[in-house]
Formats: sequence, C-alpha cells, structure tokens
Amino acid sequence: MNIAAMNNVVYGYDGVPVIHNVSLRIESGEFIAVSGPNGAAKSTLLRLLLGLVKPWSGEVSYAPDFNRKAIGYLPQQAASFNSGFPSKVIELVRSGCYPKLGLFRRFGAEQHALVEWSLRRAGMWEYRSRKIGGLSGGQKQKACIARVMAQQPDLVVLDEPVTGMDAGSRLQFYQWMRDYVSADARRTVLMVTHGLDEARPYLDRVIRLEGKEEDCQCFTSNSCSAPFGQEVLLH
Amino acid sequence: MLHFEFMQRAFWAGGLIALIAPILGVFLVLRRQSLMADTLSHVSMAGVALGSVLHMSPVLAGFLFAVIGGIAIEQLRRSYRAYSEVPVAIIMTSGLALAMVLMSMKSNLSKSFSSYLFGSIVAVNPLQLMIIAAVTAGGLIFFAVFRRHLYTLTFDEETAAVGGVQVKLLTFAFAVMSGLIVAAAMPIVGVLLVSALIVLPSAFALRFAGGFLQACILAVCAGLTGVFGGLTASYYTDTPPGGTIALTLLLILLAGIAVQKVGQRRRQRHLGEAVRAVPSASRQVMSTSYQEEETNVS
Repeated sequence: MNIAAMNNVVYGYDGVPVIHNVSLRIESGEFIAVSGPNGAAKSTLLRLLLGLVKPWSGEVSYAPDFNRKAIGYLPQQAASFNSGFPSKVIELVRSGCYPKLGLFRRFGAEQHALVEWSLRRAGMWEYRSRKIGGLSGGQKQKACIARVMAQQPDLVVLDEPVTGMDAGSRLQFYQWMRDYVSADARRTVLMVTHGLDEARPYLDRVIRLEGKEEDCQCFTSNSCSAPFGQEVLLH
Repeated sequence: MLHFEFMQRAFWAGGLIALIAPILGVFLVLRRQSLMADTLSHVSMAGVALGSVLHMSPVLAGFLFAVIGGIAIEQLRRSYRAYSEVPVAIIMTSGLALAMVLMSMKSNLSKSFSSYLFGSIVAVNPLQLMIIAAVTAGGLIFFAVFRRHLYTLTFDEETAAVGGVQVKLLTFAFAVMSGLIVAAAMPIVGVLLVSALIVLPSAFALRFAGGFLQACILAVCAGLTGVFGGLTASYYTDTPPGGTIALTLLLILLAGIAVQKVGQRRRQRHLGEAVRAVPSASRQVMSTSYQEEETNVS
C-alpha cells in the first residue's frame, strides 16, 4: 500500500536547486535506505517528505488514511543536543509517546511497556536512570532512537541513525528495524545511511541520490524520474 | 516584621513571582535565551515611559510592550537562527534607547523611574498584587497544560514539529507568557535585576536536577528561599530589597556550586581507590594491534 509520494519535487538553498524533479513513492511494509555522496541532498529529501520545508515546485502527498502523528523522526546528529538538558534517559524516551498521547491522555501501562521494550531493544535499559548529557556519543544516539521507537510510528524516518555506534550495535539496530517492519504490514522504515554494505542484507530497497546532475543517469524503477532520483530495487 | 501590611504584601508578591519566574527561567536557559528576561524588562520600561507620556496606564503599557518585545524576539530568532543571542541584543538596545528618549520627554518622570529600575517590592499596592497573582496562576496553568509539548519543543524543535506540536503557535504563546511574567516581576526586583529571579534559580537547579520536572521544582524552591530570605534580610539590615534578593539568590547558587564540587571530589577519590583495589585482571584492557586484518582472516 502506498503511504506517501513525492511528485516532481524541486528544492534548493540560496537559489540553487539541490533536488531536481524528484519523484518517489513510499510503500508500507518496506525497510528503505537512502544513500548517496555528501551533498546529494539526502537529509533535504527527508525534510521535504516530513513537511519541514516546502518544495519550490512539485508536491509531497500522504495517503488520506495515513495518520501524520504516526511519523517518528530522528534528525541528523540527533546526539548533538544540548548536553545540559536536564533529563534522564527514560524521561527522554517517554517523551516519544507524547505525540500519540497529546496533552492530557494518561501515560498508562501500555506506554510504560513500550518505553521498556524500546530501551531494551536499543540496549539502553541499564542506562535508563542516567542523565542524557553524560552518555557517550553512540549511547546518546541509541537513546534518541529508543525515543523515536517508543512512539511506535507507522513511518520511521531516520537520518544517519548509526552515527557513533559500534559494529555490534549497528547490526542489532538493523535487525530491530527489519523485525519492526516485518511485524506489521503497515510499518515502513526510511533511513539515510552511508553504511549501505552492512545494512544491505536487512533492506528491501535502496534509493540512491547522485550528487552531480551531469553524471546521473536514471536507469531503473517505476517511480523514478530523471535526472535525479534513481532507485535500485534489491529484492 | 509580618505585622506590617506592606511586608505581608511584599511576601505575597515575592512568593507568587518566585513560583513562576524560575520555571520560565529553566526554559529560557535551555533555549539559550537567559538574557531574554533582562531585555523584556527594558522593553517593558519603555512601555511604562510611553504610557505616562501618552497619559495611559503605565502598568498596562508596560505589560503590552513586554509582550510585544517577546514576540519580536521570537520573530527575529527565526531570521538569526545560528545566533540566538543577537535578537535579544537587538531588542534590548532598542528598548533601552526608546525608554531613554521617552523619559527625557517628561522630566518629572525620572524620579518614579528609579523605582522601576531598582524595584519597590515593599511598595506593592493591592492592584499590582492582583495582577501578579493572575499572571502566576495563568503561567502555572500554561506550563502544566503544555508540559509535554514544551519538553519536546525545548529538546528539539524539528522533532516536535514532526510529532504534531504547533511549533509556531506554542513559541508565540511562550513569548507572550515571558512578557507577562517579566512585566509582573519588574516592580518587585526592578528592571535591572529581573534576571536574578528568572535565571539564578534555574542556573542553580540545572546543576543538580536529574530530570526535567525535578529541575523546575528545584528552581522554584531556590527562588522561594531567595525571595523570602532576601526580603527578611533587607528588612532587618535596611538594604534595598531588590538587590538583597538578588544577592541571596547568588549566594544560594554559589553555595550549591561549592557543595557540588566538594561532593564530586570526595566521590572521585573514593571511586579511584575502589578501582585501584580491584585485581588487575578485571580492569579495562587496552591493547594495540597492527595486524588486526591478518588475524581476522586466519
């Protein structure tokens, strides 16, 4: 089932377009990686999809029955937050449940269970009472991932989620995302990554963004439109 | 001391402000806007001056200006994303300049202005007390109702936006709230020391608090102690109340830092000895290998 689509999207910075006419579709039940060299506008692609920036032209649309509050987002360098922020790890992860709870709904047993599940899968349960500012870079990253996952999003959007994580943690993380997508057909994970080689066995699809317009050819996939967003199907 | 009605009012006014200002301070400090309070108080003073020049209610004009100043800073913050202190500086200068020019238009104003600059908590009248009570109640409700959204927003605006927080609306409301609280606190400690009540307690709390709620509670406790302690001290030593309150808050902060430093050092020494006592085999292992690749292959 199609949950989101971008049609002929153009966007850029300071008058210079970095996204040229990209079209793509996000299906539910997929674990997708976005890859490409530095400056290929991978993060920008995510931000356009999330509606954090508006395209110059073209459109970003979501399926009518898709709940926009069921999107979880991990920004790039999520771990570079203000280290003086007075919060325990578990408090931060709990805040992942807030989008679905809104202002007043009670934080109940279901949420507590989700928080514990998320912390355990991220390998951060033992650190739950630590202050987030005192964690290492990789641990901060894991805490932020746990926060996103505690939300139980239908669409998980992650920008370089494994930054600072050791090899074992990275593979555990890919396996978690694989399990998460496989457990429910409505779920999708979309992540920007530079570690395509190690993530490949877990992925369903790779969206490759090429940095330079002139040497980009578009040679695959139903949903790609030249000259920018080529997709490679990996099944 | 409390048999004087003016001292009772001073305690009430100070106590009410000390309930709300430190909570605002926690958010301002975390948003890197700790000078916001100072700025808004300068702007508010310009409002007071304009109010008296135009024969409006100075109190009302002060509130209005503080709120407008808060919104203006919020707007400027969007255009100076990378330098969040610049908008604060711009508005602070503008506010002070405007206040100076307006004050010069009415020469008989300068005397009453010294009471705005340095505060006159012991001269709080019943109307001001009611205003302070209303602002404090409104502020507490605001922070309680939006606590989840504010936590998310303060941590990271973009994830908050994706999570369904109306970022623009909430920051707008926050700016309005800051303006109201600053304008209400101004008569108590004065324009120059508003930051003392807003920033010092949270600076204290942020050093100790393990969690977010704990930070807010600790800040309020520090604020209340500072205000009541400062008021009492100023009554018995006949010193200006605003300055005495600020100094008391500073003392609390310094004492906190000192206690923490000593505690830390003691803990470190203790842990250091504990680690040394462990047999060397179970200690952290450091090794250097230049042949990792080959070892793995074979």
